Amino acid sequence: MSAPLTRIAAAEDGVPAARPGSGRTGRWLRRAGRHRVALTLAFLLILPWIAPYQALAVTILVLGLYALGFNLLFGYTGLLSFGHAAFLGGGAYGCGIAIVRYGLHPVLALVAGTLLATLIAAAMGVLAIRTRGIYFAMTTLALSMCVYYGFYQAESFTGGENGLRGINVPSLTLPGLRLSLLDPIVKYYAVLAVVGLAVWLFSRLLSSPFGAALEAIRENESRAQACGYDVRRMKLVAFVLSGALCGLAGALQAIHLSIVPIETMHYSTSGQAVMMALLGGMGTFFGPFVGAATFALLQDGLATLTSHWQLFVGAIFIAFVLFLPLGIWGEVLARLRRAGW
Amino acid sequence: MSGITIGGFPLDLIGLQLVTGIALGAIYVLVGIGLSLIFGLMNVVNFAHGAFFMVGAYVGVFLYGYTGSFWVSLVAAPLAMGLLGLAVERVLVRPLYGRGIDDPLLLTFGLSYVMVESVRIAFGLTGLPFGAPPELRGAVDIGIGYFPLYRLFLIAFSLAVVGALWLFIERTPFGLVIRAGARDPQIVQVLGIEIAKVWLAVFALGCALAGLAGILAAPLQGVTPEMGIPVLAEAFVVTVVGGMGSLAGAVLAGLIVGIVVAMTSLVAPDMTKMAIFALMALVLLVRPRGLLGRAGALG
Amino acid sequence: MVSAAPLAVPAAPPILAAQGLGKRFGHFRALSGVTVDFSEGGITAIIGPNGAGKSTFFNLISGAFPPSEGRVLFRGQDITGRPPHHFARMGIAKSFQITNLFPHLSVRENVRVAAQARRVRFAFFRDRAAYPELTERAEALLAEVGLGDRMDRLARELAHGEQRALEIAVALAAEPTLLLLDEPTAGMSPEETRDMMDLVQRLAETRTLILVEHKMKLVMGLCRRLVVLHQGELLAEGSPDDIRAHPEVRRVYLGTRA
Repeated sequence: MSAPLTRIAAAEDGVPAARPGSGRTGRWLRRAGRHRVALTLAFLLILPWIAPYQALAVTILVLGLYALGFNLLFGYTGLLSFGHAAFLGGGAYGCGIAIVRYGLHPVLALVAGTLLATLIAAAMGVLAIRTRGIYFAMTTLALSMCVYYGFYQAESFTGGENGLRGINVPSLTLPGLRLSLLDPIVKYYAVLAVVGLAVWLFSRLLSSPFGAALEAIRENESRAQACGYDVRRMKLVAFVLSGALCGLAGALQAIHLSIVPIETMHYSTSGQAVMMALLGGMGTFFGPFVGAATFALLQDGLATLTSHWQLFVGAIFIAFVLFLPLGIWGEVLARLRRAGW
Repeated sequence: MSGITIGGFPLDLIGLQLVTGIALGAIYVLVGIGLSLIFGLMNVVNFAHGAFFMVGAYVGVFLYGYTGSFWVSLVAAPLAMGLLGLAVERVLVRPLYGRGIDDPLLLTFGLSYVMVESVRIAFGLTGLPFGAPPELRGAVDIGIGYFPLYRLFLIAFSLAVVGALWLFIERTPFGLVIRAGARDPQIVQVLGIEIAKVWLAVFALGCALAGLAGILAAPLQGVTPEMGIPVLAEAFVVTVVGGMGSLAGAVLAGLIVGIVVAMTSLVAPDMTKMAIFALMALVLLVRPRGLLGRAGALG
Repeated sequence: MVSAAPLAVPAAPPILAAQGLGKRFGHFRALSGVTVDFSEGGITAIIGPNGAGKSTFFNLISGAFPPSEGRVLFRGQDITGRPPHHFARMGIAKSFQITNLFPHLSVRENVRVAAQARRVRFAFFRDRAAYPELTERAEALLAEVGLGDRMDRLARELAHGEQRALEIAVALAAEPTLLLLDEPTAGMSPEETRDMMDLVQRLAETRTLILVEHKMKLVMGLCRRLVVLHQGELLAEGSPDDIRAHPEVRRVYLGTRA
């Protein structure tokens, strides 16, 4: 009957983020928690100047949003999904198709992509939420494979095996503003404007009564239900919101890469979200960006050394599960907290 | 006989396709049982199950190249995967007991990356072709037409394995321990048996079954490093459709999935992959606990 | 708050009624044909030796799982088989036998999030601090159960007895008119037990309480009525004096324990 145990419940001093209502956090961490959006944005503002190259910074930004959306479900609601590629891919295809086939304005295309991902999430969620615990991971994986094959088959719309090509957005025209996205720095800050908005909304969501209820569900599902929460409905809403955020990330990725490879929807992309959330620290606000940066840098660095970088990514991931289950940022927070910060 | 048609397809063609589905289902049954066995007893979802399937196939194909005997492969592949399973449980999974239920799942997920990439390093990216061994090639008349001998062998062999497994679990003392352990690990402790040893053995057994399924599937499609990925997803479908941790459910669902795939490829070949998941969606809507779920983990 | 009802209002339906309740787990009959009315106000204890079906009965009347047969009525309304969160919203709260809290949330947040459940659920944008009445209510309840100085600790850091008290505060946060407690003193030291029983008595001044208790002696003094289960069936019910004098109860319960 007990709720699926999460990594947080298993960890030694696993108080995840500094968040309202969690006790015994030192003064500095509490203060940082109150300004988590500002601090995150400050980091993202300087990221292109510390990243090895600027296109990688955009990748980190987009992957960070993807991991952030995933973390809403995994870290804050306690549901482990292995199907989030369907949302990243849904957002990417939705945005790409809107631009390539219908010539929509990029901003509207972002909306279209997010909407498509939201719809996919709703359809998958209605089914997946009927299973609990470990079966949820299995069901979401299987359902996302179904979406993958669907998009694979719908060749006239999605380009099938070859992916969707030609999503060229050289510039962005807004009222009174014209930005050239060919300049990587301009592109980065344009993407950051969207990601920053999403980060702010995400923070509001976590602080809201709904966010509190999600944490309660993560901590103890049957208790939350006995308190009067309709746990199933709340999980579904969390699933859909998580899908929408990942869809937005996918839409941004489509514009960033100007192509949507079919692999975007593949199981391994779902696994990437899991890896980033775990590397960074699940259930922490800033962890997804740390995880995304770690993953992107690892991939980028290893790929120049060996074509078999996945071997090392897998081994590093295993090491994290065994020895550093809180993830990088989660471990940092736990140590600072123990030190009385 | 040949004059009768259903939906435009002659009856004997449908019959042949049905047998094809059962042969395909036999693979799903073996993979699904391994997954269900580990899950039912240990509450661990082995995300490397598809990778064990794949490595088993490679081991078998590799040994076939050396020995020229399919029978050696048929014994060696599950044996090798069983040993690998022993090592994995002992070294990697065991430290995670008592932690969150997601931890072994995440670990085996990472492990699948390592296994797939190791095979790519050892055998290359493109995979190896593999056909049925000479003694199992050709076709036999099964009354409604000629049917590939290898697929008949596949059905018979899987049936024998499932039967042996059933006898093992229902009729031997060790099987009794497995059944008791699936209901309540503490009972096993009370009986004076170390549950850790039972888990070790069952994890190895599940992996061995995956490896066996891999080498049995190899002649149907050849082997590639990625062959385990769709199998993992399909094995999940089998366990969800069959019911949580139910072995009988895995058998039933494995056959149903195989038949659904075969029938869809007859009617709408493009929809074959989708059909598997549509089946799962249907079961989740109508009977979320699965066809034979809840009737005791191994009942 | 509903005030304690006078002892016998003739026309009012019982606050909770079990009608022929039974539960099977596979072939095992955990409970069969139990019919009991619980009237408003005071404390009713459900007692019985181990394996009598107390916990099963508790789980059925608190909606944790549906019965195999029979009905549960709340103020005359059939609530059989409704999901657990409906029970909570109708004013039925429960505490669990095993400590069942939100371990990584602060003590205050444990109660606040429970209080929130009946007021705001789907509010996505306002800060939870924008509902000060919920925090105030949580703090008042924590003071009531004696955890006023523990509010900033994490629930998992509390001592066992404190966790049991928090458990009750979480249950009370849902503003119940009917409070169901499953062995509230399980695993407690004698002092903790005494404190808990005092608390239970205070709570019953303004609410109806039904509690499952293993230790018969403990409840004899404070409850108005007792329901005795034995081997999954109703053995007896009545006032503490009735139960003490009941020959069957003496045989199966007191006899084996004394």
